[in-house]
Amino acid sequence: MAATYGYTGKILRVNLTTGKISTDDTLKYKDFIGGEGMAMKIMWDEVAPGVTPYAPENKIVFGTGPLCGTGVPCSGRTNITSLLPSSPFHGVSSSHMGGYFATELKYSGWDMIVVEGKAANPVWLRIEDDKVKIEDARWMWGKGIFDTQAMVASFMGKEAQVAAIGQAGENLVNLSVIRTGSSHSAGGHGGVMGSKNLKAIGVKGTGSVKIAGDRKAWAELDKLMMSVIGANNQMVVPSSPQPWAEFNDKSSRWTGRKGLYWGAANPPVETGECDPHDMQSVGLRTMKAVFDFGPQAEKYTVRMGGCSHCPIRCHSQLKVPQLSKYGMDEYVSNTCMGWFSPRGVMFKGIKAFDGNSEADAAVVGPAIGAKLADDYGVWCNYGQIGRDLQYAYETGLLKKVLPADEYASIPWEKLEKGDATFLIDFYERVAFKKGEFSHIADGTYWLAERWKFGDDFWNGKVYKVWSRQGFPVHHSNEAGGQVGALISCFSNRDAQNHSHMNFIGSKLPIALQKEIAGEIFGSPDALDAPSDYKPMNEYKARFVKWSLGRSMLHNSLTVCNWMWPMSVSPLKERKYRGDTGLEAKFYSLATGIQLSEKELDEAAARCFTLFRAITQRQMGQKDLRVAHDQTTEWVTHAEKGKDGKEIPQFTKGTIAMEEKDMELGRTLVYREFGWDEKTGAPTRACLEKYGMADVAQDLASRGLLPV
Amino acid sequence: MSDQHAKNRNSASSHAAEAPAPAAGLVAAIRGASAEIRLTRLTALRSDFPEAAAREGGVELLLEESGAADLRRMAGEGGEAYYFSADSMTEAYALHLFRIEEKDPVRLVADTVRDDSRIYPRPTDVRVFADPPFSLPAREVAEVVARMEMRPDTADIKSGRASNGALYLYSDRFLEAAHAESLIEWIEVGQKENP
Ligand code: SF4
Repeated sequence: MAATYGYTGKILRVNLTTGKISTDDTLKYKDFIGGEGMAMKIMWDEVAPGVTPYAPENKIVFGTGPLCGTGVPCSGRTNITSLLPSSPFHGVSSSHMGGYFATELKYSGWDMIVVEGKAANPVWLRIEDDKVKIEDARWMWGKGIFDTQAMVASFMGKEAQVAAIGQAGENLVNLSVIRTGSSHSAGGHGGVMGSKNLKAIGVKGTGSVKIAGDRKAWAELDKLMMSVIGANNQMVVPSSPQPWAEFNDKSSRWTGRKGLYWGAANPPVETGECDPHDMQSVGLRTMKAVFDFGPQAEKYTVRMGGCSHCPIRCHSQLKVPQLSKYGMDEYVSNTCMGWFSPRGVMFKGIKAFDGNSEADAAVVGPAIGAKLADDYGVWCNYGQIGRDLQYAYETGLLKKVLPADEYASIPWEKLEKGDATFLIDFYERVAFKKGEFSHIADGTYWLAERWKFGDDFWNGKVYKVWSRQGFPVHHSNEAGGQVGALISCFSNRDAQNHSHMNFIGSKLPIALQKEIAGEIFGSPDALDAPSDYKPMNEYKARFVKWSLGRSMLHNSLTVCNWMWPMSVSPLKERKYRGDTGLEAKFYSLATGIQLSEKELDEAAARCFTLFRAITQRQMGQKDLRVAHDQTTEWVTHAEKGKDGKEIPQFTKGTIAMEEKDMELGRTLVYREFGWDEKTGAPTRACLEKYGMADVAQDLASRGLLPV
Repeated sequence: MSDQHAKNRNSASSHAAEAPAPAAGLVAAIRGASAEIRLTRLTALRSDFPEAAAREGGVELLLEESGAADLRRMAGEGGEAYYFSADSMTEAYALHLFRIEEKDPVRLVADTVRDDSRIYPRPTDVRVFADPPFSLPAREVAEVVARMEMRPDTADIKSGRASNGALYLYSDRFLEAAHAESLIEWIEVGQKENP
């Protein structure tokens, strides 16, 4: 085989029905970049419309990209693509996990793993370089993810990286995860692994990833990269005034400062000032524990952890001795939603419980929930599970749909009192599919159908449901006006898109951000100040296309979309400008395939258009504008101010969108992609431009191609 | 001394040729204090360098003519002035220290709030004043907020609460009430629910 750079050149294919293990050539898919892009191509080619997520014919693709394993900052991500059980039409979708699995997979010589079929009995997949075996997992079945990882490690050694499902995945709970490391969860596809009787994948590699380009050029690029990287979510401004900083923002994730410690480390480690010129302190900038919990988390923090090749480290690794009271290991790790979703289930708040003061309870409660969700492998649908529960409980619906004895067996008094041990009962019912209550984890769409949620649920702002497909708001209009709102319209699950937020949320002053927006998108009007939105324009549409494309690009390269793209920098001498061409520069140097920023963006638009085509084929709908891209009503309803009066859209103080303006927005985004402006469906010309005449032909044969 | 923008202290030094002998001690004292993230008061320089203070034009003229391009001066109340080296801290940070040194907590809070409302623009979480570098005792922050309501020179400073009860301040010179209310809720509640 000819030498390959960036890519290992090999895709591992495993058919669990036949036991056949084979190798495919990565580079035949290279127009689709890697990771998510290539997975979309495989799903289009190989999974027919009408296949359901838990059917053996469904495939699950674990993908890395050409930058993974090269040492590019934040490149340790795994993209997982399959049909999504919680989606009403089982829409193709991707979930992502960090940790060290992806790089280990590359070091073992594989770019991707494509799993199909269904094993007769529980199995796990053992990958040691080019030695691949399907192993018996009957003893692992029924175990939580922590034990499963330990069992795999007992066979393969502690260097092995393990991705596994817990009981939730085994029991085909729609809201379940695949997890690696101690806290890296890909939400949504755990049940797909379960349906294939695949408990875990262990991987150990002794190889390396080769880089095509000149070493010096690589080192220079790395230096440039480190001059633009900020803290988590590419926030480039510290959370408190610092001698080196011109700006600060209390809501920044750049929390490092003098006098702030990883308090449970031995000895405690001070984060220090974290001057952005000091490369040694990049990993101290994001003291995420205090960001997620508040100052009380300092004493519990052992250190910050994260994914391979990531200098940022956004996962808080805590020592919470109180956990041992519940038979849990006192070490617990997570970030963002991992902590927030148990808090969401405790929607009445977490108060002092079991001898914990209210301040300590604010850490101990989410820690209990995170530990359970991570072991059982339960997903939260980006926090929506808590709001679904809140609606069902507060409207009295739960009392009606649950048998009386089941309802009475749930410790509601704990929920009411803010006692977080309620979570022990909650996650157990969910993971083991106990009773009617467990349907809370079917996913919002299926749950709402089953329990007959009313329009007040879908249209009420408080429940934050973005789409009738049953996924919630995720960096939408509340943060990014039409840009965020439109980004959320194109997903088959919560948008999981941070391309726009890693710019909008940089915490730089709005005037400066608008200048930078002008340079990237052609006009400062691409960006509005928060809660001061102006009507839609073509520059915002460009911003939307760019964000959708970049997210696809990052999940294909694979780099972390919770950091990339690098639109801004913390350095004043760079005028706070980042470098949006870094992905293309790294890609070209790593692979030896020279692509400009524009060309790589076009490759990403190709992948996104293919995703759109799969969605269309799955839905069997000609008009995606109507059938797919609409929001729930609260998004476009005028909000009321404190005085009870409606605040007109596009005046200061409201995040509400306006229906006509959103329709214009859809049209402008379709135009940017070259899709049909009426229906939002990819056109023949667009598909042919991207070299996908076969896709156009297929859609035409189904009567789905716009005329 | 120069008015050009502060360079970062880790970037190439903006020191001009070493200051001439009579000013050298003054410049070194200011740079030394700045390296420890402190401002240097004019009155302190006068008492530490009596000979320089006795010259015509005094300490101020000596520094003016020192050629030390990194030095900055901020004029305070009652003829006091403060010096710092922009190689060690930004002007924005020095301004915080200046307001702290001036020992008028009401003005400190009001001016900081005004800056936030003007520059970003955003409302200010009152809890920031209990944290470094301000480090005002929580009770004092509450008193300041109460006093601001009475003082005509802080009449533009308004307060608002998020749905979780957190108190924020803003200046209505730069932020309209409805806009500020919306931002308060977003910063305090919405952002955290949407991580
Ligand atoms: S920022 Fe966080 S999620 Fe992203 S690569 Fe780094 S540690 Fe992983």
